[in-house]
Amino acid sequence: MACNMLDFTDIAFDFSDKPFIAGLSFAVAKGEVLGLIGPNGAGKSTILKLAAGLLKPRAGSIRLAGRPIAAYNGRERARRVAYLPQQLDARLPFRVAELVEMGGYPHLGKAPRETFEALRLAGLETKADAPLGQLSGGELRRAYLAMTLRQGADCLLLDEPLAGLDLKYQAELLQLLRGIAARTGTTVVMSLHDMGAALWLDRLLALKEGELIGAGKPRELLSEGLIRKLFDLDEEAAWIFRPGAGLPERKSATP
Amino acid sequence: MKSTRMLLACAAALLLALASVFFGPRLINPLALDAESRQILLLLRLPRSAVAFLMGGALGASGFILQGVFRNPLADPYILGLSGGASLAAALGILLVGSLPLPLPLLAFAGALGACALVAALGRGPEGLRPDRLLLGGIGLGFFFSAVLLLLMTLASDGGLKRTILWMSGDLSSANWELIPGGLVLILCGLMLALARSQGLNVLSLGDDIAHGLGFNPGRERFFLFVAASLMTAAAVSLGGTVGFIGLLVPHAVRHLVGADARRALPVSFFGGGALLCLADSLGRTLAAPLEIPAGVIVALIGAPWFILVLRKKGYGL
Repeated sequence: MACNMLDFTDIAFDFSDKPFIAGLSFAVAKGEVLGLIGPNGAGKSTILKLAAGLLKPRAGSIRLAGRPIAAYNGRERARRVAYLPQQLDARLPFRVAELVEMGGYPHLGKAPRETFEALRLAGLETKADAPLGQLSGGELRRAYLAMTLRQGADCLLLDEPLAGLDLKYQAELLQLLRGIAARTGTTVVMSLHDMGAALWLDRLLALKEGELIGAGKPRELLSEGLIRKLFDLDEEAAWIFRPGAGLPERKSATP
Repeated sequence: MKSTRMLLACAAALLLALASVFFGPRLINPLALDAESRQILLLLRLPRSAVAFLMGGALGASGFILQGVFRNPLADPYILGLSGGASLAAALGILLVGSLPLPLPLLAFAGALGACALVAALGRGPEGLRPDRLLLGGIGLGFFFSAVLLLLMTLASDGGLKRTILWMSGDLSSANWELIPGGLVLILCGLMLALARSQGLNVLSLGDDIAHGLGFNPGRERFFLFVAASLMTAAAVSLGGTVGFIGLLVPHAVRHLVGADARRALPVSFFGGGALLCLADSLGRTLAAPLEIPAGVIVALIGAPWFILVLRKKGYGL
């Protein structure tokens, strides 16, 4: 029987001794492109860090390709799962190609994806020699993504990979990730705030204050009711979810 | 391409260091060596240049390591108080213990490692290592070490005082062949350890989360690299006292030349640091001959303006 790429079972996690996540369970199938949505502080980044082995749960088990994540050594884990955080440092002395090459470190021999191929996938083949400090915000994110692609892991954990990208690159990145997932069976788990982009993923988990309040295919899950509940929007503010309806007049007077 | 540049840079640094041997109060023509010149070269200039090369190299390499580990372009063994820690530990050995239970390089190593751990502890906030806290912690610690050292010297006997002062001035005039084996062992151990962890040094620059994602244990990598930097700083201090700015200057220049990949930049930082101190020392003994300006003074005269430039140049990376 084919096992899942990720299995979260009854996970509990505390922040400074305060319970944050309790009894969280979900699974991510191999080759699936999963989105984590929810307001700031919902636990999206925490879940990605738990899946990357950066944080340890207080209780419950996290299995990566059927094996407890704690049972992997660093190199083995890095060949299975690649993690890209939300905050990326541009003030580093490296050039783009030097950064991307580091994605090959977990592989002792030849890495599955060569540096140039990863650069090409990220649309940065002409910027290989550019210092990171001279890239635009979007280019910087794509440079780090190229490093993550070079890692050639079975599962990509991406924290807000669309942040700072213009519409063209958002579309290209989503296409790229879906293409890689379809071609190679790579699993992608990403957090995102853009509900328009979320529509293009296979499945979504909706999180609020560390709790899973909904899961399903984007077009079935993303109802106005769920969005209002998720982001605490009153009826007036929920206009943002009705594209084409026009900007409503404010009912409440502002001083 | 970059590997060729690395080899060329190392070769050029080595040639510079070798050439510096012939300069001094008496210029020596390598093509016409008489017996006296040979004696001067063998007994004075060569050991002195060898000590300067090892010392400068150790400082350049540990500066490169510390800038990567602390993710701060202003980190160097002097500014972070490592040299101060090594000096204090060694001076304690000389002044308080009298007959030393441990060889000086080992005491200096313990001092440098202790200072490194203290700086890392001071620089750690709830969100991890913070560059501003690290720098302030290191500077504060450096002042404290200097104050304790001065206090010890005030209370010390004349013999111990003289040895300590000589040591602190970064003066290479008393360098001899006997100094070299101990320092060389520490430096080789430190350099080999750092080269073995050069991938770790690269990924630490990216931050702990990404380093972990690439399969590295950031805490373990940092520990090994601290040990490597401490070994080399201790060797530098035990060879010729405290010299500032080499650890700051050299890595910046090297990154411009061969890029920031530690596998190339670390060896070039070693050779570059060595060449710079050899050059500073030969300038120091030539410019005002027969007077000698300590190499540390010449390096600081070049290093201070560079330091100010780095501070002013906003957006400058590691």
